[in-house]
Amino acid sequence: MRSFQPFSQQGFARILAETRTHHPLSPGLISIEQLKSIDGYSAFFNFPFPPSYSNMETNEYPLEWNIPEKKKEKALATSFILSNQPFYPSYISNKISSEDFTEYTKTFSSLPEQHKQIFTLPLSWIDSPIVEDVIKTDVSLIALTGLPSLFNNQRKLTEALALVRTKLPPDIAIYLPGHISPKLYTFLVYAGIDFFDNSIAYFTSKRGYFLTSKGTFSLQNHPSCYCKDCMSSPPNIFGHNETVLKNTLAEIRFALNSGTFRSLVEQDIHNSITFAAALRQFDRNYTSAIRLRTPVLSSAPIKCVGEESLFRPEIAEFRERVQKRFIPDSNCRIVILLPCSARKPYSFSRSHMLFRKAVKEGIGKLRGIISELIITSPLAVVPRELENIFPAKSYDIPVAGEWNTEEIEFTTSLLLEILSKYDSEMVIINHTHGEGYSEIIENIRNKIPSRIISTSIKSSPTSKESLSKLTSTLKEIVSDYKDIQIQGIPAVLKQLRAVADYQYGNGVGKTLFNGTIKIKGKYPRDRQIFRNKDHIGNIRSKDGFLTILPQSAQEIVDLSYNNLEFGDERVVGSNIYAPGCLNADKRIHPNDDVFVVFNNQVIATGTAVVSGEDMNKMTSGILARVKKKYKVKI
Amino acid sequence: MKINKSLAEEILKIRESTLPSRKHSRKVTHWKENHRLRSGKGEALVFILPTKGCSWALAKSGGCSICGYIYDNPQESDFDMMVSSIKNTLRRTIEEGKFSIKLFTSGSFLDENELPIEIQTSIIQEIAKYEQIEEVVLESRPEYVTNKILQNLTKNIEMSKIEIAIGLESANNRILKNSINKGFFWEDFEKSAKRVLNSGAKVKPYLLFKPPFVSEYDSIKDILQSVSKVVSIDIDTVSINAMSIHRGTFLSEVYEQKLYRSPWLWSLLTICKEIKQKYPEIRIICDIVAGGKERGAHNCGKCDEEIIRKIKKFTLTQNVDELEEEEECKCKEEWKSILISEKINISDYLHVPYLE
Repeated sequence: MRSFQPFSQQGFARILAETRTHHPLSPGLISIEQLKSIDGYSAFFNFPFPPSYSNMETNEYPLEWNIPEKKKEKALATSFILSNQPFYPSYISNKISSEDFTEYTKTFSSLPEQHKQIFTLPLSWIDSPIVEDVIKTDVSLIALTGLPSLFNNQRKLTEALALVRTKLPPDIAIYLPGHISPKLYTFLVYAGIDFFDNSIAYFTSKRGYFLTSKGTFSLQNHPSCYCKDCMSSPPNIFGHNETVLKNTLAEIRFALNSGTFRSLVEQDIHNSITFAAALRQFDRNYTSAIRLRTPVLSSAPIKCVGEESLFRPEIAEFRERVQKRFIPDSNCRIVILLPCSARKPYSFSRSHMLFRKAVKEGIGKLRGIISELIITSPLAVVPRELENIFPAKSYDIPVAGEWNTEEIEFTTSLLLEILSKYDSEMVIINHTHGEGYSEIIENIRNKIPSRIISTSIKSSPTSKESLSKLTSTLKEIVSDYKDIQIQGIPAVLKQLRAVADYQYGNGVGKTLFNGTIKIKGKYPRDRQIFRNKDHIGNIRSKDGFLTILPQSAQEIVDLSYNNLEFGDERVVGSNIYAPGCLNADKRIHPNDDVFVVFNNQVIATGTAVVSGEDMNKMTSGILARVKKKYKVKI
Repeated sequence: MKINKSLAEEILKIRESTLPSRKHSRKVTHWKENHRLRSGKGEALVFILPTKGCSWALAKSGGCSICGYIYDNPQESDFDMMVSSIKNTLRRTIEEGKFSIKLFTSGSFLDENELPIEIQTSIIQEIAKYEQIEEVVLESRPEYVTNKILQNLTKNIEMSKIEIAIGLESANNRILKNSINKGFFWEDFEKSAKRVLNSGAKVKPYLLFKPPFVSEYDSIKDILQSVSKVVSIDIDTVSINAMSIHRGTFLSEVYEQKLYRSPWLWSLLTICKEIKQKYPEIRIICDIVAGGKERGAHNCGKCDEEIIRKIKKFTLTQNVDELEEEEECKCKEEWKSILISEKINISDYLHVPYLE
């Protein structure tokens, strides 16, 4: 049970970590000493150096945050104190460190409050129950030691990183001290590390190494650089190396803010074999640690270049949601399988316009009985109704016409699952062409009772021959249904329902969109949805998703997967903070539209900042930004 | 508890595997070197006595985590040979001038089990015959500095000549217990030291710079603090020993796992300067074992020799000006950053994962 705490009592880094995608200081770089220019750093250690009798009594090593003087007055804490480190032989054997670790934590918990902000945690002790006690105190920054020794063992590395992120609450920043190459920054930030330090810049500069974001080179033989430091004479190697660190993190921050971080990770892991393997492990085995923290509602383009992209969290989530949440129209009698197109959304492409024309010719007035599924990699199956949303709207893949076994495998299994949701009497028209596609069709042929007719065996789907065959096949089938009276549902309504289900949960679409639905407004403005002349929500042009107004959200509150239970009957201000949250649905992803609920009453709608699970774990900081509050009509 | 049980177990394991390979007998080794006596520059004659070795290192607690001297001691020793050898050497070497005699056993000279009291007496008696000898340095653990032993010494030699060197290593009990496995605490040392001082003899504590598990930054602080503590009980000499990594020790295993870097010469320079400025009357002895080598105190390799020379000269002259550097080597910056990053993160700094 959570109690209400005034936000101002919490430490500074807690705020940083929670809003790590939004705060200019995180992820960031820490300077181990005060430099002439502190630009580009998030903080610096203020050590008395060298130790001498005059500073003997100093047992405090403040970590000063790089925030403007003006803001410092408002800030809760401008510096943290690294308490005097005791002996830490964590690496020799567990037996020895057990005693010492207990002693350290004992000393730590006896420290005065302001000294309890930075805790040094040896990786081998992360499972210890003592750590749980420490987390409950006001720790804001954990300096994690022992991780770099795993950098050449991808299995242990992924295990450790997943453990770190699941064990430690999201509002504690993680600082990885030591010599960490900038080429590893992207992956480590992705795995949850918030801060690095510049000690590697000192080390490499003095030893004659030249850093770049791609790796380390010797000073005699390295790619030319034309930065200010390299052009000066003699070249300032420290300055260059330091700049590389700063720039790498600046790039990461930019990518985080623009939603393209995952693509950056996929590019950068190719610099290290271990890390490339680690990412694959992460995607396959530790989905919960990462997937729930990945926005599902986004508008950023996805470039699926490498093999890693097949298991990108957004894409895996899409496949899962299509499998679980997509419900085909019960009137459907014909399923048409179509190939994907380079242009997104598919309907805008030349090929799909041709398909549509051919289908229209063949089916006549009975459009309501067909359902179109687009087969594609790595999304597997995209129902026509969901083609306008992320990621179906914004992915791209280099097409070589070849499918690998893995792609074929998961596409087959998803296609089977979706087809099983249809009436078993339906007919499947396969209008795809190519080796990969035909293999998938062969795979499903024996596993479902329905009839499969292929219309594009000999030539490409857009060829005249194939298109006319599609038309004629449809005409033939339709003739069987001539006598049946079918009340078709307009395509727009189908789309709205599918998107609502995808976004908010099963059954939401049907509940929300019945009666007379009208859509007003024109692209590029958000279109408004009216039901029986009441404005109930909008279709966002940016990402194709829906915004539901608070009063209509009330109807679907029982079905919705996006509820955030709030502790008060009224929302004040424009943010929801952690202490106000009683319980959040674990299925909430960052960026999701959430309903703020009090006593089963929707009191506001908002946009999630962090995932639902993190909302429950956090004790401070912003959970969601309020979009619209429910106004009580008197 | 003065022992960290788990640390002691680890050390014992390593000891038990290495100890049986020791030799059976050895000769007395000796050499002459320049030395700073209390009265000024002079010479020192050093004897290494082949006793069976330090009782602590042979005990069930495994001994100190850092000490491998025991492997140089024989399993059995010939005491008569020892006495006659010392006698002959003294006769041949002692000439005009001032001399200091150092009697090292790699254990405790005053331990009766290691060196029977009759042998102790006859060696001291031999030395007492020479007037040129102004100082006699004996090494011992504090527990063997008993009143009985001290009285025996008083009978045979002028006590003001005697200097008992005790390996204190640090005045911080936590370091003694968790890093070194020393088996005694500061309080034990204090008692023994006072006993020695009361008898008229001198005490020379050895301080260890950079024991395992202590960052170099903290170790500098520890040395400074230890010196203050030592000075407070009227001791006038300290010997600062930079860590050198002996084979067959616990520390050596830590080092081989790349979890320890031997101390920087820059740190030693800083320490000597700082102590001399704070306590000008104290005699600081800083002998660097394996200086400039990978397993001893070293810098970048370019400036090592010069700094070692300076510290050696400082030890002889006790003049702090000797420590002034004309030109700073480039590695001083690296030293600074490594010290800080080691302080923040004691275990990881030696892993260099970016050099794949």
